[in-house]
Amino acid sequence: MAAKKKWPVVLMATTLFAGVLAGCGSNNKNDNASPTATSTAGSSPSSSESASPEAVKPITFSFYSEDPNPNWANMQDETGKVITEKTGVTIDAEFAVGDPVQKSALIASSGKYPDLIAAKNSINKFVDAGAVIDLTDLIDQYGPNIKKVYGDQLKRLYYSNDDHAIYVLPTVAGVDQHYFEAGGGFSLQHRVVKELGYPKMRTVEDFENAIKQYLALHPTDDKGNKNIGISLNADDWHMYISVTNPAFFATGGPDDGEYNIDVDTNKVTYHFLRPAEKDYFKWLNHMNAEGLLDKESFVQKYDQYKAKVASGRVLGLIDQLWDYADGEKALKAEGKMEYAYGHYPITLNESFKETSFWPTGFMAGNGIAISKTNPDPVAAIKFLDYLASDEGQVLLNWGIEGKHYTVENGKRVMIPEVNNRRVNDATNFAKETGIGFYNTMGPHYGDGVKDPTDNYYTLKFPEQLTTDYSDVEKEVLKGYGATIWKDLFPKEEEFKIKPWGAAWNIPIPSDSDITVLDEKLKNITWKMIPKAILAKPEQFDGIWDDYVAQLEKAGVHKAEELRGQLVADRVKLWND
Amino acid sequence: MKAVTATMNTKERSRTGRFWTTFIRNKYLYLMSLPFVLWVFVFSYYPLWGWLMAFQKFKPNGQSVFHQKWVGFDQFKTLFHDEVFYQVLRNTLAMSIMGLISGFVVAIMFALLLNEIRQMFFKRFVQTISYLPHFVSWAVATSIITRMLSSDNGVVNDILMGLGFIHEPIQFMGKGNLFWGIVTVSDLWKETGWSAIIYLAAIAGIGPELYEAAKVDGAGRIKQIWHITLPGIRSTIMILLILSIGHLINNGFEKQFLLGNNLVRDYSQVLDLYSLQYGLQMSRYSFGTAVNIFSSVVSLLLLFTANGLFKRITKESVI
Repeated sequence: MAAKKKWPVVLMATTLFAGVLAGCGSNNKNDNASPTATSTAGSSPSSSESASPEAVKPITFSFYSEDPNPNWANMQDETGKVITEKTGVTIDAEFAVGDPVQKSALIASSGKYPDLIAAKNSINKFVDAGAVIDLTDLIDQYGPNIKKVYGDQLKRLYYSNDDHAIYVLPTVAGVDQHYFEAGGGFSLQHRVVKELGYPKMRTVEDFENAIKQYLALHPTDDKGNKNIGISLNADDWHMYISVTNPAFFATGGPDDGEYNIDVDTNKVTYHFLRPAEKDYFKWLNHMNAEGLLDKESFVQKYDQYKAKVASGRVLGLIDQLWDYADGEKALKAEGKMEYAYGHYPITLNESFKETSFWPTGFMAGNGIAISKTNPDPVAAIKFLDYLASDEGQVLLNWGIEGKHYTVENGKRVMIPEVNNRRVNDATNFAKETGIGFYNTMGPHYGDGVKDPTDNYYTLKFPEQLTTDYSDVEKEVLKGYGATIWKDLFPKEEEFKIKPWGAAWNIPIPSDSDITVLDEKLKNITWKMIPKAILAKPEQFDGIWDDYVAQLEKAGVHKAEELRGQLVADRVKLWND
Repeated sequence: MKAVTATMNTKERSRTGRFWTTFIRNKYLYLMSLPFVLWVFVFSYYPLWGWLMAFQKFKPNGQSVFHQKWVGFDQFKTLFHDEVFYQVLRNTLAMSIMGLISGFVVAIMFALLLNEIRQMFFKRFVQTISYLPHFVSWAVATSIITRMLSSDNGVVNDILMGLGFIHEPIQFMGKGNLFWGIVTVSDLWKETGWSAIIYLAAIAGIGPELYEAAKVDGAGRIKQIWHITLPGIRSTIMILLILSIGHLINNGFEKQFLLGNNLVRDYSQVLDLYSLQYGLQMSRYSFGTAVNIFSSVVSLLLLFTANGLFKRITKESVI
């Protein structure tokens, strides 16, 4: 009896013990083996060794991107299947959820790198860790299309003055990009301008008056909920987009991140210290005092903001289209076209030019890198080269001929039903077709560039844009004597070229003091700006002085100096 | 002298001998505990060598920890010279202590009250309802809370205005001085029912004959609670209290992270968020480690102090 009883116990103990060992064992294995060897990636190269060199070898690359793609369909979408067929490559993607910078820092320090890394500004962490390889020779040997796309911009791919290696193929920005779509500026619902008879929209006073007048006429929506003048989106990093960046857009400063660099003198200023920006925030303070600013602006979370936009109660926004697009999509899906937003080049006063279209030149920097643990860098670069080819770019943007687009008399057009779904059923359309998923994975031309057949590479060109507009939108644009929103904005040619591109995409060496300084300044700014805006108007100046004093104490001038050095380095790297 | 040593030796031997006898007698128990000992070692002790990083300027450059630059206590010096750190420490301790006190008092009272309910169905019903929020993730819970406290059609403001207490909606989430309270109350809402379970279990373990004896002696309900129920669960309360004191400083950050916003930043930042922001997010791995070493050491100190105090006062302890 006793002997019988013992066995289950022994058995259980051994099982548990084996379980623990197995746990350790697999850990060790991962340490030794190629860190990226997911089951598929590990097995495919060896199995395809015997295949003839001409045939495409099936291979799976793990891919990490800081930009999440919630619709990602594991390459089972129509475009993805064609890519796999042509290149043999399947992408096993992992996207940053939550804070991308943090996720990148974790991956960079883990020592287990994905095969392809799209880490935007965090790429410096990977370079410092020696995680990514120099692509110069690979591009030379296997990347004719990549070379063709970048052309004489190749110099902008160099990593730094000390290290002329190419670690990153810039894929976020398109080469020779022309902007047609104005998604920024200040936004007003079409119903507001329509009802007020298309009033002049040039300064913050115009904007304020329009909202004030409309609110006086329609204080509530049809359900009796209060209409809201302006709502800002201040949840975490959206603070930049909707609260702090508009301060320089509206006061004639180009987008150089948190620092303004004078294009004539190269003087670097923490942009909040520009006197005009104080006036801008003072105006927001005034809007709050008038009750035109949503009281929840600095409290609401991003989803609440989007829900509010989707409710149609918010008359005006100071935000980028991509940031509030989800809310607007919901409105459009309900057919409430007059609740959608138009974009106006509002500035603090008429002496400023709205700077949304201040050209940056080709924005090298953010893109894709190949890790040192990639099992087959040649296949990877060939894959990227295919994406960069004319055939590849048309596929990524237009889809498959006959299925998504047709060529009539040499002119490429989207099939109307397909295009209709693309605009009005965007999410499902993206999931099925994959159009738009792979654009920022490989080097590509920007909007407004034509391929050898004299058609545009991308779907954003003036003619196509207006077919996407709703009737209300067209009517409003007509009211302002324009065909596209961009017509209202100051043109690229009106601005002086900045030889550093844009300062926000200059990589910062990971051990630089700037990182800590910037974080401290950011925390002060994000705390004090909302406080100043929400204060009683007579307290504004006092709070602002306190804010400036705090910045100075935290070392804002040292940060300016360090940033100035980085800008000087960038100018040297790109222009010598 | 010799004799003494000899007896000592035999004593020693017999002691080790006794150990081995018990060991052999209980070999299966030891065998069964082995995986868990290993588990603790692998996941709790083995990673501690990473603490070395706190005394270095670690860069993930493919070199092992032993080839990094040693900087002594530099990381700790930076930490203790940072004003933000003290603010963050204040917030962490304030919210933890508020949570600890209110959590204990309310959960125990709730358990006592629930125990007095004689109607079984109602008791079960209330108990189930009360611990349901425990299973709601903080992400969902915070969005419910912010909706309720919103100044734009938020329930709380609507009620207060309807009752005429206020004329203007209050921006609850934008007021720094309310933040600690909001966190504490949300914590209460979410965890009271769940924490009460363990007390209810302890109460169930008290022999009914004690209550019968008390009744015979003429004790009413309140007296029974005071003289029988409470002393009966005293050791449970003490153990839980000591353990929670050990967690005072690293009490998680989800609720603060999700409920906070820029307006209440001075009150919402906690130590874990600080180490995340100023450590990992800036690739200052060493600094992040230093922060966590600090909180581990403080936790240990708190735990031992609490344990020692309770041992002296109540003769009960965990260790």
